[in-house]
Amino acid sequence: MPGCALPGTPLADALPGINACVHCGFCLQACPTYLNLEDENDSPRGRIFLMRSLLEGTVRPDDPSVQQHIDQCLGCRACEPVCPSGVPYGQLLEATRATLRESRPTPFLARLILFVFARAWLLRPAMFFSRLLAATPIPTLLSGVKGRLGFAMAMLASTGRSIERSRYNAIGRGERGRAATLRGCVMDGLFSATNRATERVLTVNGYAIVDAPGQQCCGALHAHAGDLENARKLARRNIAAFEKSGAEFIAVNAAGCGAIMKEYGHLLKDDPEWRERASALGSRVRDVSELLAAAGPRTGGALPIRVTYDAPCHLQHAQRVTDAPLSVLAAIPGLELVPLHDSDQCCGSAGIYNLIEPDTSDAVLAPKLANIRDTRAPWVATGNPGCLMQIGAGLIRADIPARSIHPVDLLDASYAAFGQ
Amino acid sequence: MTPPSQLNASAVADRLAEIVGDRHVLSRQSELLVYNSDGLPGYRRQPRLAVFPGTRDEAIAVVRLLADEGLPFVPRGAGTGLSGGALADDIIVVGLHRLKEIISLDIDNRRATVESGVVNLRLNKYVAPYGLLYAPDPSSEAACTIGGNVAENAGGPHCLKYGVTLNHVLAMTVVLPSGEVVDLGSKSGEHDGYDLRGAFIGSEGCFGLALEITVKLTPRPQTVRTLLADFMSVDEAARVTSAIIASGIVPAALEFMDGPTIRVVESSIYAAGYPKDAEAILLIELDGLEAGVSADLEVVRQVCVEGGARNVKVARDDAERTKLWQGRKKAFGAMGRLAPHLIVQDAVIPRTRLSDILETIHAISEKYGVVVCNVFHAGDGNLHPNIAYSADDPDESERVHSAMVEIMRACIDAGGSITGEHGVGLDKIGYMEAIFSETSLNAMCALRSVFDPDRRANPGKVVPVHSCREWNAVASARGAASVREPMPLAAEPARPSARSRNLESDLWEDR
Repeated sequence: MPGCALPGTPLADALPGINACVHCGFCLQACPTYLNLEDENDSPRGRIFLMRSLLEGTVRPDDPSVQQHIDQCLGCRACEPVCPSGVPYGQLLEATRATLRESRPTPFLARLILFVFARAWLLRPAMFFSRLLAATPIPTLLSGVKGRLGFAMAMLASTGRSIERSRYNAIGRGERGRAATLRGCVMDGLFSATNRATERVLTVNGYAIVDAPGQQCCGALHAHAGDLENARKLARRNIAAFEKSGAEFIAVNAAGCGAIMKEYGHLLKDDPEWRERASALGSRVRDVSELLAAAGPRTGGALPIRVTYDAPCHLQHAQRVTDAPLSVLAAIPGLELVPLHDSDQCCGSAGIYNLIEPDTSDAVLAPKLANIRDTRAPWVATGNPGCLMQIGAGLIRADIPARSIHPVDLLDASYAAFGQ
Repeated sequence: MTPPSQLNASAVADRLAEIVGDRHVLSRQSELLVYNSDGLPGYRRQPRLAVFPGTRDEAIAVVRLLADEGLPFVPRGAGTGLSGGALADDIIVVGLHRLKEIISLDIDNRRATVESGVVNLRLNKYVAPYGLLYAPDPSSEAACTIGGNVAENAGGPHCLKYGVTLNHVLAMTVVLPSGEVVDLGSKSGEHDGYDLRGAFIGSEGCFGLALEITVKLTPRPQTVRTLLADFMSVDEAARVTSAIIASGIVPAALEFMDGPTIRVVESSIYAAGYPKDAEAILLIELDGLEAGVSADLEVVRQVCVEGGARNVKVARDDAERTKLWQGRKKAFGAMGRLAPHLIVQDAVIPRTRLSDILETIHAISEKYGVVVCNVFHAGDGNLHPNIAYSADDPDESERVHSAMVEIMRACIDAGGSITGEHGVGLDKIGYMEAIFSETSLNAMCALRSVFDPDRRANPGKVVPVHSCREWNAVASARGAASVREPMPLAAEPARPSARSRNLESDLWEDR
């Protein structure tokens, strides 16, 4: 475009992606914020228009309403699979947020969270404290308190409600290759049982688990908030750690982490030293359900429960993995899968969005909870820690007799029931 | 009428906010930007205010307030229109997308009443479990609203057999620009007296706002079969189109895509498995009772083969059928892959002239060095030549522009019309005098006056204002400015009237 108003910014680099938008509007009905806020400024087409306007100079980066509408995006990327001209919306959003960061401060809470997650020495004690707190009755007691504190407590409380299962020895021949697991931040801190279950079910399905010491936070939270510098820093450390592990696959059980790791190549596209290594590593990243589906997965013991499945956005839209989690659930004898209406819609978690934009997050969560209630299923399976806690907290606060659970935990329980 | 210069926007915004709530009135320049175009972003007009009523009563109150203040406005649905019809030049946008309740479903009588912001595909999904469908299926069905469909008298691929929106709307509750609420048509489908419902459908927002719409639902056909025939020449495909219709069979849809379009679609996520080396494909759908469809299928297959089709493939199941259709329906959006900007036309020609016109279009595209992608409703002779281009390149823009004008002229010369389903809006207003006599245009103006005597609803669209003799007479009697600029709030206030310009300047914007 003639006379770019923001030359040299990440947004200016993203112009080809912006130009791909022909304004057809097919994204509108896929967008949870448009459906809830009912303003095109809060739709993908509208936000892309704002991005273009920023570059044209018809709006300024410090315009508060532009910042508000860009902030209000969940980054769920539900608009991507429905876009006929292939607009890389997630990348455009990150580029815009990175550009806007220059002209306004990130909210304090977001800055604090990102600061901690980028530093293992801070993150570990923070997670330790969260774990301690989760083990007390405090989160449950406070989960009904109005506002963000109550919601955060409900999130914590939801992490202690997984399915009971007995111990079993996971035995496998490792014929499908070596897999290193991403431990993750929240997964490691609050869902360590799921991490252990992930290793067991992969082992049973023929993957040899190898360790990848030195791995860090994946950087997704930072990238989504526009802090590309820290995201890249973390990505480089992870690439080095996983390369060293010699694993053929990097198994990820958090959809949000898997999505960014698969896109490390894009994140580091301007770094000649790391570009190719990043792409190569990204091509080895798999959601745990993909690895399991490739192996069958093996059938376990009977688990006569009713389960509904909610697709994490970063699995369904960003990674376009739709059938694999269902085949994981299908491998469990006795499990009855109840269809969830609008299961492809966002739950409103979106990383740290539910803490930063509580009102919109609640508005997006409400129809999700209503749909879950309609299934009358006592379990909601979903493969992402943010969604597990968002839905889990919502269920507790709305007093719906259901719990959120990772599909891998259900498969693990089924294997345990088999007495593997 | 209050000219924009005298409009106290913030006072009006406050009063509108009292009706619909603060959040649903936009008055900041930066928030109104995204409302400055519809599905054809080559045109941009910046609105002064935007208001989004959330209930029928709020919508009526908004229109009454605007009537009291004498303020012009533009109704807007989902903003997927392709003629610039929902653009508001420094006036007020009334968005009806929040009116999205499906009010009632009457399965026995096969009809549904919906609010105007209900999305076309949502209605279809809602009625599907009852074995019913809402027939008009514009390619934007996943986004466009029933209210917008009414305004544009929207069509779609299946209108070849089933008819357009007009044939599927039984009744409407309408708020006229004066604020008066009237019922048009009859839910039972029988019309007493003049068919005002028919006059309203396709009025492009110039006659008022439809708030509630009762539509006819159609039973899903027992059998649907979809054929894909590919050709190594455009001419063969065009001739086969005529031959199929001449055979007496009425396909549910008969769609044409040329080579460039096929290749764009095949490179998108909606790749449908069309043969990439073909120069044309026909997508033919037959539906009805099993026995009849099977017999027709054989006839159509035979006609295709005899007409030179390289392959004729029949979709095996619903999944394959859906895939074939997704490729067709998302073709417009997929063209974003070619270049940043896109212009699409909507001419209608006699079907028998298809072959000549496609040849002419090809010659025009070569002459101007542009790539025309043809994807259209062949069965109706409703052409959609698309040209992807970069508006940042003034030379290319000029060539694209000239090519489009020449294509439209060729269609008019062939005995065709300027719009099949996209409406006139802003985009085709310059062609109106080329196909209608002054008498006809005056008749249109007179009809408009019945619904909107002050011309406050969607001013400056559809009929070139200067061509309205009767309006001009009224305007001068009132001592209004001049005939040349009869309406200070018309969509193109500061520019010369359409008559003084040639066709070209009306078509194009500088983006």
